Amino acid sequence: MLFKDQLQFVFQHMKKNKLRVTMTVLAAMIGCAFLIVLASIGFGIQQTLKNEILNDEDITQIELWNDGTLSSKDQKFIEGIDHVKVVLNRAEISGGVKSIFEDREGESNALMVDMGAQKELPSNLSEGRLPKKSSEIVVGYHYAQNLLNEADQAEIERKSKEADAAGTYYDGSEEGFKGDLLNKQVTLQFYDEETTEYSEPATFTIVGILKQPSYEWAVDSKVLFSDSLLEVYPNLVTSPSSKIYVDSIENVMPVLDLLKEQNYQVYSQVEQLDELDMFFLIFKIGLIFIGTIAILIASIGIFNTMTMAVTERTREIGVLKAIGASPSLIQRLFLMESSFIGVLGTGLAIIVSYGISFAANAVLPYVVSFALSDEDLSSYDITFSLIPWSLVVIAGGISLIVAIISGWRPARNATKIEVIQALRQEL
Amino acid sequence: MITVNSLKHTFLIGKKGNEKKIEVLKDIDFHIERGEIVSVVGKSGSGKSTLLQTIAGFMKPDSGSIMVNNTEIAKYNEKQSAAFRLDNFGFIFQNFQLLPAQTVFENIELPLKLKGVSRGIRKKKVTELLQKVGLTEVADHYPNELSGGQQQRVSIARAMITNPPIILADEPTGSLDSQTEKEILALIQKLNKEENLTFVIITHDEEVALIANRQFRMTDGVLVRVGGMTHAF
Repeated sequence: MLFKDQLQFVFQHMKKNKLRVTMTVLAAMIGCAFLIVLASIGFGIQQTLKNEILNDEDITQIELWNDGTLSSKDQKFIEGIDHVKVVLNRAEISGGVKSIFEDREGESNALMVDMGAQKELPSNLSEGRLPKKSSEIVVGYHYAQNLLNEADQAEIERKSKEADAAGTYYDGSEEGFKGDLLNKQVTLQFYDEETTEYSEPATFTIVGILKQPSYEWAVDSKVLFSDSLLEVYPNLVTSPSSKIYVDSIENVMPVLDLLKEQNYQVYSQVEQLDELDMFFLIFKIGLIFIGTIAILIASIGIFNTMTMAVTERTREIGVLKAIGASPSLIQRLFLMESSFIGVLGTGLAIIVSYGISFAANAVLPYVVSFALSDEDLSSYDITFSLIPWSLVVIAGGISLIVAIISGWRPARNATKIEVIQALRQEL
Repeated sequence: MITVNSLKHTFLIGKKGNEKKIEVLKDIDFHIERGEIVSVVGKSGSGKSTLLQTIAGFMKPDSGSIMVNNTEIAKYNEKQSAAFRLDNFGFIFQNFQLLPAQTVFENIELPLKLKGVSRGIRKKKVTELLQKVGLTEVADHYPNELSGGQQQRVSIARAMITNPPIILADEPTGSLDSQTEKEILALIQKLNKEENLTFVIITHDEEVALIANRQFRMTDGVLVRVGGMTHAF
């Protein structure tokens, strides 16, 4: 029998039992759509967290911790590793620094950075330049916001109280110095944690301002000094650390592995990414397993429909066999019918799932914000549901295989129908 | 054309463990030449339908040989039997056995579809045959819209569509009134003469059996020849 005649034969029968076939297709669709939508939550959350990590500007950095400053031998070794661009030594100044500008004051974290190495990296400044002298500094994007006078402090206190009463939080972003700080001079005092006293005030020039942090919620008010500061303040207590910059994200793990083999204490966000992938792989397999149960339930419907189809068509099968249809053809015709039910159900499920996924991503941020009475989540890049092609292929494959297996037994039974018995059946 | 030798078949009836053996075919021997009309007449339960079903390959005999065109078909498996039927046999049944959801045209072209014949050739062949059996007007009708005689004509057309050398007819007029019966038998004789088709007709009706060139009688599983053609319609 020609394939198109087989198709026509199958469609003719499906058309004849429109209602029953439609209900079975719907059951298959619901089962498959449930699987896709359920698993899409796993894919969505993974994507959101992955984006969060990948958006971090530090993604190609490897953190290196030492007991002291990195020795020149170690530095040379690390710089010699393939794909390592720069080794940036930095030291956090314990106790931080107090800034005084006009009638304003503010506390900040303070860092000394090897500006020679920093220069080799892509600029992290929104304006200005890197310090060339020990009396020059670069400040964080929110440094000006951190400089408060008494009026600002009172205003922040008032707004915080109001926010507290409303069950929210006020971050003080509306106060602080509003003018341009570039090339302005500020007075700084280092805080000594041991003596709990500030150093003598010294004047520094702000020569650069850092870029805004990639996270909207992050507040960056730190002060960056050139490492030549130690020549002026040799008694500063610092915690040195190093950052290794790798040329691309793919090369981070090989470099990291090599450094670990050499017993360096290293960490990269990419490691977190790998752990995240592994966790979500297991999570998604779990979700797909649960979703498959829904497909299995739908398969009972397909099995019933096909069993009824075979029973109802016993005489017809008998006639076909009598005039020369082979058992394999009979089996194929019924398997095609159950497969079509599976294909139709899966096709519709994919369309419906994409619709649900789109609607979920559009509506859920508002619903969650409303339910939690929290800030507006819609401004964040959160993916609640994501349907990649791999999920469509996996779910479609499972759905089709289950549909074919469900139709297998009835199709086999159809081939076993005896011509003589079948022809005796009444119309 | 068809040679049957020492054909035996037994049915087991009754409850399991307490079955009775009934010999329905007892050492059947006969030979049919191409272009013959052969009838097998007998009462219900005499084994005549079992004989036809065995020749058709619907069931396997316990022993014996069935040669059709020098091919031994008694030991064929289901798949081989089906393929052989498609090429060599046409079937006419008492209750027509047409597919109710298919039109007259579609019912007739069904064996051609099974053979994988293209749509164009099918259309040509079916149209010709519809003319031959006088059903052109009802080609697009469904079986339940036709009279018994028309339905049996459709059944005959379906049996002939692949040009099989042998037509096996099981009580071809059993569901028809006497006038329609005469028409159908006349058609069988006409096709036999014009197309040189071999007909094996199983019937309980002595009158129907008389159209055959040779007549056999089946009594309790034993087949005996009872005469040649003496009657014409």
